Amino acid sequence: MLLSVEPDGPVPIYQQIRDRIVEAIAGGRQPAGSGLPSTRQLAVDLGVNFHTVNKSYDLLRQEGLLRLSRKSGAVVQRDAGSGPPRPDWAHDWAARLSTLLAEAAAQGLPPEDIVRHCREAIAAFTFPAAGESGPGSVGQP
Amino acid sequence: MTTGSLSGVVIVSFFAATMCLTPAITRPTVPFGVRVPPERADATVIRQQRRAYYGRTAVIGACCIALAILLRDRGSWWLSRIILLLELTADFGCYLIARNRIAAVKQAERWYAGHRQVVATDTSWRTDPPRFPARWLIPALTVIALTVLVGALRYPHLPARVTAGGHLVPKSVVSVFAIVAAQLYVTVLWTGLMLIVYRSRPDIEADDAAGSTRRYRRFLAACTRAFLTLLALVDLTLLLAALRNWQVYRPSGIGSALIVLPFAVGLLVLAVVTFRVGQGGSRLPGGRGGYGTAAGVDRDDDRFWKAGLIYVNRDDPALLVGARFGVGWTFNLANPMAWLVIAGIVATPAGLAALAAAVGL
Repeated sequence: MLLSVEPDGPVPIYQQIRDRIVEAIAGGRQPAGSGLPSTRQLAVDLGVNFHTVNKSYDLLRQEGLLRLSRKSGAVVQRDAGSGPPRPDWAHDWAARLSTLLAEAAAQGLPPEDIVRHCREAIAAFTFPAAGESGPGSVGQP
Repeated sequence: MTTGSLSGVVIVSFFAATMCLTPAITRPTVPFGVRVPPERADATVIRQQRRAYYGRTAVIGACCIALAILLRDRGSWWLSRIILLLELTADFGCYLIARNRIAAVKQAERWYAGHRQVVATDTSWRTDPPRFPARWLIPALTVIALTVLVGALRYPHLPARVTAGGHLVPKSVVSVFAIVAAQLYVTVLWTGLMLIVYRSRPDIEADDAAGSTRRYRRFLAACTRAFLTLLALVDLTLLLAALRNWQVYRPSGIGSALIVLPFAVGLLVLAVVTFRVGQGGSRLPGGRGGYGTAAGVDRDDDRFWKAGLIYVNRDDPALLVGARFGVGWTFNLANPMAWLVIAGIVATPAGLAALAAAVGL
């Protein structure tokens, strides 16, 4: 998986790392069961503090996307094929999405453009075929 | 010509060639240690400064080689070291001129304005790490074992005073086997450093992360093999010197100078390999197909490089990073572990000598 961050950008680095990993999972580049570098290794590779990567991994662990263990390191816990998310997670996500879409509306983006952007983003994701359960289904949180 | 004078000429010539050709093996986006965006890698000022550097260092190298040859049988071993020091100082001056001029144009024309500056990595480097080619250590270890064997067989037959370090000293385990300690030190040091390199981060270009990671893998494999070959040949030169000291043979004339031949061949192998692969594999085929799809350019990190050569970055946990000018690696001097390793490298031979003296070997 290729991972790039903008160290001098406006978004905190830990958030960028977390976002890139979520995008890689959704895009099928980092499926459930696949490994990620340890926090120390990723910190060295990106030239950032250990705690920064630790914070990203901890966020992903709390979201149920990553499993951290001393033995196997950081492993992706679930992906699009791992079944539906928890109901409370979907509720929280819908609230955040509403704010994100509101930003576009407040800036004057027409509804058709908002929908087009959503479609383009979804086109980059990988979803399992109907009825198929991916290898990650065993690792549901 | 003696072994010392020939090795002096070999070293002065080697550095003359490598210093002159270094810009050719350096990554195009870090000319003379200045980070530039990919589309500026062929800027007029860079081409001009590269040409001027080639010209100046070629003249300096030719003068120093001529001086080393003319003075080869005069003075002592230190004469060639002084010539080498003068050569390196003058080459460094040429480097600084080129670097400062490129940096000045970069700043004046604001080359990074409007660029999205990123740091990229390929996680496959960690999830599918390259393997250290341990088999390539066998020649060096074989040479060391052979040296120990010959030394053990010769020891009872050696006279009361033996040659060590160019002087006659009383025969002892230390004076006879000091050369084996030198072989072990060089071999362990280089192998240890290469193992650290294998755990360090690769040089990845943001606008071609996957391609540059693949090239770096090939670069690292080729360089490690060349380093381990050089190591075996350095050990061989030390073995030949040991055989002379242990009176297995008495070289005379050009024969004595041939002791440094394995070392010279090893340097040549390393130079050829590094020239073929380039810094971080930048001369290997499979280059980028264009800049259009780039998500960003490599971050302008000049502020962390003192004179474009010494890396000091407190926010970076890396111990070793790819060298900025030429092929190789350099320590992150803001990392306390780097100072510990450097202290270990310097203190180990001094400590061994002191220990040997203390126990009266």
